[in-house]
Amino acid sequence: MLVAEKLVKTFPGVRALDGANLTLRPGSVHALLGENGAGKSTLVKLLTGVYRPDGGRILSDGAELQFGGPLDAQKAGIGVVHQERNLIPAFSVGENIVLHHLPGRAGWLDKQRMRAEARRCLELLEVDLDPDMPVSRLSVAQGQLVEIAKALSLDSKVLLLDEPTASLTGDEADRLYSVVRRLRDSGHAVVLVSHKLEEVFAVADTVTVLRDGRSVAEAEPLEGHTQSQIVDLMVGRAFASIELARHPVDASQTPALRLSDVATGLGHQDINLSVRPGEILGLYGLVGAGRSELAKAVLGLERITAGTVEIHGKPARIRNVGEALRRYRLGYVTEDRKDEGLFLEQPVTRNIAVTVWRRLAKAGFVPDRRERALAATYVERLGIRVSTPQQLAGQLSGGNQQKVSLAKWLAAECDVLIVDEPTVGIDVRTKAAFHELIAGLAAEGLALLLISSDLPETVVLADRIAVMSELRIVGELDNDHDYQRMSQQIIRLIHAEPSNPGTLRPTES
Amino acid sequence: MTLTATSLSATSRKPELTLAVIAVVGFVALAIATGGNLLSAGTLEAFFRFLAVPIVIGLSQMVVLAVGQMNLSVGALTGFCAMAAAWLMLEAGLPAPIAVLAALALGLAVGLANGILVVLTRINGFIVTLATMTIIQGLRYGVNGPDTFQGYSEGLRAFGRASILGLPAVFLVAIAVAVLVGLYFSRTVSGRKLLASGGSPFAARLSGISNDRSLITAHGLSGLLAGVAAVITVAASGSVNATIGDDLLLPSFAAPIIGGVALTGGMVSVTGTVLAAFLVRLVDVMQAQFGINPRWVDLIIGAVVLGAVLLGTVRQKLQKGST
Repeated sequence: MLVAEKLVKTFPGVRALDGANLTLRPGSVHALLGENGAGKSTLVKLLTGVYRPDGGRILSDGAELQFGGPLDAQKAGIGVVHQERNLIPAFSVGENIVLHHLPGRAGWLDKQRMRAEARRCLELLEVDLDPDMPVSRLSVAQGQLVEIAKALSLDSKVLLLDEPTASLTGDEADRLYSVVRRLRDSGHAVVLVSHKLEEVFAVADTVTVLRDGRSVAEAEPLEGHTQSQIVDLMVGRAFASIELARHPVDASQTPALRLSDVATGLGHQDINLSVRPGEILGLYGLVGAGRSELAKAVLGLERITAGTVEIHGKPARIRNVGEALRRYRLGYVTEDRKDEGLFLEQPVTRNIAVTVWRRLAKAGFVPDRRERALAATYVERLGIRVSTPQQLAGQLSGGNQQKVSLAKWLAAECDVLIVDEPTVGIDVRTKAAFHELIAGLAAEGLALLLISSDLPETVVLADRIAVMSELRIVGELDNDHDYQRMSQQIIRLIHAEPSNPGTLRPTES
Repeated sequence: MTLTATSLSATSRKPELTLAVIAVVGFVALAIATGGNLLSAGTLEAFFRFLAVPIVIGLSQMVVLAVGQMNLSVGALTGFCAMAAAWLMLEAGLPAPIAVLAALALGLAVGLANGILVVLTRINGFIVTLATMTIIQGLRYGVNGPDTFQGYSEGLRAFGRASILGLPAVFLVAIAVAVLVGLYFSRTVSGRKLLASGGSPFAARLSGISNDRSLITAHGLSGLLAGVAAVITVAASGSVNATIGDDLLLPSFAAPIIGGVALTGGMVSVTGTVLAAFLVRLVDVMQAQFGINPRWVDLIIGAVVLGAVLLGTVRQKLQKGST
């Protein structure tokens, strides 16, 4: 029996786990559930030696385990298949399976033993694959099975699967789950992290629910619970919402940004969205749903293969960010402010002025004085905390960096802004101030498309909420800012099987 | 030749086949263009004798490319080791076998130092080896000035001139080294770990493979191979001066890159590297035969390297598109 007790893990600025418990019994499938950012992946990484806990302990049959690295966890009998694919493409199936412990004789790779070992692991799963086949020739589903075989190769008794079916078709997922059941019947403890509640209910015996880094339900039998009850646990009680001044949106106005039946080279289909001036449209979805990618397609960074994009009622063909900015006054505040949003080694003034250098320049030179004047305006307007505007962007706190990253688009006089995960990695108080700032911009008449994985944030800020899942819009809701009701509806939209994607409209329950 | 370390990867076989065809066609064409002169015993032997160093130096670069690194010091290190061997024989009066072992040990030591520096400082290997290259060059001139060493061990020079079944002994040494490197990557645990680290450092780490150890091993091996190239140089050329090895940097990249080795790491091709070294040598001979300005040779090789990299990128894109 594997037990995790009061695990704590802190990252700079974020407490990812704050007393999470987990109990695993042999011969069972245990679901680990929680909203975005609840700490599921962190917990998985603590249990498998990728991170070290800052507090709490992990016990195996009563004995405390301490992992110096991933291999220690493997040796303790804990195997894992991470969400990201972790196979070495140029290697064979067999080599990948036994990569932890490549068998050798005096340094030479013992191919016979490698094949035999790999075959044994594959047979355990009743999977018929040639150990000599290069993994680059496998389908995604086959690759998944190879990863499971790899996780079991050191006789693991515990197997953790982090979102194993995220990129599988329904049939492939069924096959994967029949393997999971077989492992359970042979005495393994399997942990299943999944967003797909249908699947969880079909395969899991017990459930642990994480919320804000804590376990709010521990090893409860799933039987007797309804999906609604589980969703309630994930979402928690009513969210204490800050009251933001709200401005009615004039519904008769032409949308500032409108996507009609847009499809992209990345696989987005039938995307229909519109934002009017003064409106905030929330675009909610799980990580990997394709929201940022859609934004980048609108900016011309990815290919749009069908449909139309209109800005202020006129069809727009945007080929790059420069064009979006200068011709359409459309800005994109990136989710990755450190790499994509800012020049960390440059002063705040330059970070703000970068979008308007052309306008500021005289005969090709950008006068410092003009840059400073411009920056001063926005430092004051957005309340950016700097010792001097010459301070380097890298020295600011996360919240202030985010404001600088936003300021450059305002400086360029954008009236349509796509704001991507604006408060990720920002503490709670700064977050509230940032929300007021965004609401204020909408009140001034800007049209905002707010991409967020933060459900409370979306419900607080947005006028309407579009929900994206697996590259499609699965529903759009008018936001009444009742957190309990909105979050229930949104989570149901995401967790529903996409029976009729794109046209699904929610009904009141 | 079945030296393909990547025999597991079917896709990498095609460029090698292409290279083999080009090599044969090029060789025949040059033989015809020179009126059969290329096939005369002396010319043919010289052709293969001076192919030995490019092969080994290409492999020396290839082993660091395997972990996604570069080693700019290979040429300077080859020269340094060659000089050390000559100095030990002439000035210290040591017998040739000891001098040879010392040159190999020196190459290995400097290579390991490169690797350890990369791991300890976390500075990009490109910069670290750029620095060690400059240091080595400085040491070479500083210690010995522009002197030329000659008249060392008769036995070693005889080995450099020797032929077995019409093929120069040094060329056979280079081929033997290539076979060993091929076996290392395809058949040994250590070699597979190197490729795992190069192909996907994250996955390797999660599998308990030490990427740091892979980096040090690769740099050490690269240095050792530079030592081998040095010994071949000492044996084949009969004299050693302070500029030896300086012109090896571009060829060291040309062979693996034209040979289809990925700059991003994780994939090697010994056959491709050997064949590409052969092709570069053909261009060299062509220059000598027709009295072309040597600058044109550099231009051609440079252009071919660029083209090969471009081709590699296109190939990767096509592969991605097909899956």
